[in-house]
Amino acid sequence: MPDYVPGLEGVVAAQTEISLVDGANGRLVYRGYVIADLAEEMSFEEVAHLFWFGHLPNRPELDGLAAELSGSRSLTQAAAAALDALPTDADPMDVLRSVVSVQGVRHRLEKPNIPAAIHVTASFPTILAAFHRRRQGLDPVKPRAELGHAANYLYMLTGTEADMDLVRALNTYLVLLADHGMNASTFTARVIASTDSDLASCLVGAIGALKGPAHGGAPSAVMDQLEQIGSAENAERWMREARARKERFMGFGHRVYRTYDPRAKILKAMCQRLNPKFYDLASRVEETALAILHEEHPERPQATNVEFYSAGVLQAIGLPKDLFPPTFAVARVAGWSAHVLEQASHNRLIRPQSEYIGPEPRKPVPLSERS
Amino acid sequence: MGPTEFSPGLEGVVAAKTAVSEVDGANGRLIYRGGYLIEDLVPAAGYEETAYLLWHGDLPDKSQLDALRGEMVGARRLNESARRTLESLGSDVDPMDMLRTVLSAQAASKTLTKPSIPEAVALTAVMPTIVAGAYRRRQRRDVIEPRDELGHAANLLWMMDGKEPATERIHWLDSYLVLLADHGLNASTFTARVIASTGSDLASCVVGAIGALKGPAHGGATYAARTMLDSIGSVENADAWLRDAHAKHARFPGFGHRVYRTYDPRAKILREMAKTADPKLHQVAAHTEEVALKILHDAHPERPNATNVDFWASVVLTGTGISKEMFTCLFATSRVAGWTAHVLEAMEDLRIIRPASVWIGPQPGQKPLPADKR
Repeated sequence: MPDYVPGLEGVVAAQTEISLVDGANGRLVYRGYVIADLAEEMSFEEVAHLFWFGHLPNRPELDGLAAELSGSRSLTQAAAAALDALPTDADPMDVLRSVVSVQGVRHRLEKPNIPAAIHVTASFPTILAAFHRRRQGLDPVKPRAELGHAANYLYMLTGTEADMDLVRALNTYLVLLADHGMNASTFTARVIASTDSDLASCLVGAIGALKGPAHGGAPSAVMDQLEQIGSAENAERWMREARARKERFMGFGHRVYRTYDPRAKILKAMCQRLNPKFYDLASRVEETALAILHEEHPERPQATNVEFYSAGVLQAIGLPKDLFPPTFAVARVAGWSAHVLEQASHNRLIRPQSEYIGPEPRKPVPLSERS
Repeated sequence: MGPTEFSPGLEGVVAAKTAVSEVDGANGRLIYRGGYLIEDLVPAAGYEETAYLLWHGDLPDKSQLDALRGEMVGARRLNESARRTLESLGSDVDPMDMLRTVLSAQAASKTLTKPSIPEAVALTAVMPTIVAGAYRRRQRRDVIEPRDELGHAANLLWMMDGKEPATERIHWLDSYLVLLADHGLNASTFTARVIASTGSDLASCVVGAIGALKGPAHGGATYAARTMLDSIGSVENADAWLRDAHAKHARFPGFGHRVYRTYDPRAKILREMAKTADPKLHQVAAHTEEVALKILHDAHPERPNATNVDFWASVVLTGTGISKEMFTCLFATSRVAGWTAHVLEAMEDLRIIRPASVWIGPQPGQKPLPADKR
């Protein structure tokens, strides 16, 4: 039997042309384009088109996709009813998981397809905005067709049109987070797709994986830690004490990049501009964290990850902490659905092996004789 | 460590160490936690005992079993969110979609909790209520409340039909539930373990696993096997039907398995049960099996006998009176014990599952053109 590979690290589980995490060179590549060339130039809709159709859209294609997305923003009657049935204090990730599941119900099994991907991607902001308003005792805001994906999300959250700067910031965040190789949630979606299941099942599973603190839950944890540190002056002392207690620094460390995460670089610059208060504290914390981590492991690369400055950008946009993980999902659903389509197009059931570490076969004792 | 070669389907890759179950394909054995062979366990233990075994590592004594039964009975009812979510779904919705959705709603909670045995018990206990509720909803009939004095299998039949279930039906269903409760690192169990690896909650793992089980290449195969038997219809028709299907390169649902090199031990037990559960369908199925194996052997003499569990499960479930559209839900009702046991095991040494991929796209670095110049 081959050796057990913990975390499947280094095991190639898929061939993909959707995104490449080029860790050695610190590059994230979407279908051939380097992220730095896309992040502040492209709308989320253009990147979604790139993922689903394989190329950046020309003007009529982009207008067509934007219209399809904005025409698919409403929830089905069942989804709206389910959203109303969920407790108002529920974790928004649980709400997203449940309502996407309803939004995706069908009478019979449907093969994953692009229209379904468009339809479900369009609904994510609607679900989150409606839930966020409901838990504040507010009515949902109807989507506005002339607003883009990012602008409309903010509009549905607040009922007022957001500042252009913030819309651009959210759009850039969505582009940056839209895909990232074979991460755990994307891999989940592909495993589910490998059984010939439907798109909604893949996405619901991926949402469940993204919910984990080791994956999409990280930006909220960054915010918690920064709140505990409180001020730049306090950073060094707090962090050395935390280290002595064997606590982890949130927003640092990743398996793939050997250089500074290219997404973190862009988000950091955005934080400086949009959220100076956060930036002052966060950049000091980052500096201190990197210094301490370097002292401990000089051989390891700089480890600031995308979650660290994501927190500051999402805060600047006005999102509460518990909407950080599901807003990550708003971005990543474009990548998830593209990976599902890719998996379904040349599929093979993903069924690895396990190594049995239990006892050798023996006979069961009848109930009456067990003690 | 550099990336290895791409192994499609991760075939031959070891993704976990487990004591929950072992599929010993070479010897045609399925071993459940504690070292019990499936053929020894089915006559000795019911579903609740088997679930206890998978979660705790050994079979319960009488008082442990009574305590578990009490806990499960107490966790059978849908909460308000789940009940209203079920009611919001159309009666023509795929029952697996209903199960995926209602379980997600039942488990929606305020704070992230670490997977635990009590949560595994609660999720396992509520599955029959959702499955029966979905079945009743599809029939546009009222939901039937669970009955505390009935065991897991009996209560499921009660909630589906509203009639006192016959002893042998309870026995067939209970045996089916024991047989399907775990099976190594299959795609849905692996899904649950990948989700667990991020530190997510138990319900997210189970909801994801339900989505994977839904696929025709996994849990959907029992339904497909029964559909094939329906269209074959009679012993006389089997030969012509199968040869025709084979000529058209159609696959025979219920045949083929990646792991067993001998007859699937679960299929063997179910084949025996099918004789009494549905003698008429058993006849058609037995002949179908004989012809199918011959055709497959003629085409690939080097391959082993390939009847899988789905084939004979479809006959036993039919004899138990389960409507075929509910087969995959029944599979989930059983497998949830294994899914949750695997997640609990994975918690002991949590490490995010993040494999590598190979880039087969265009050379990185091309510059994007503005929209108007494309």
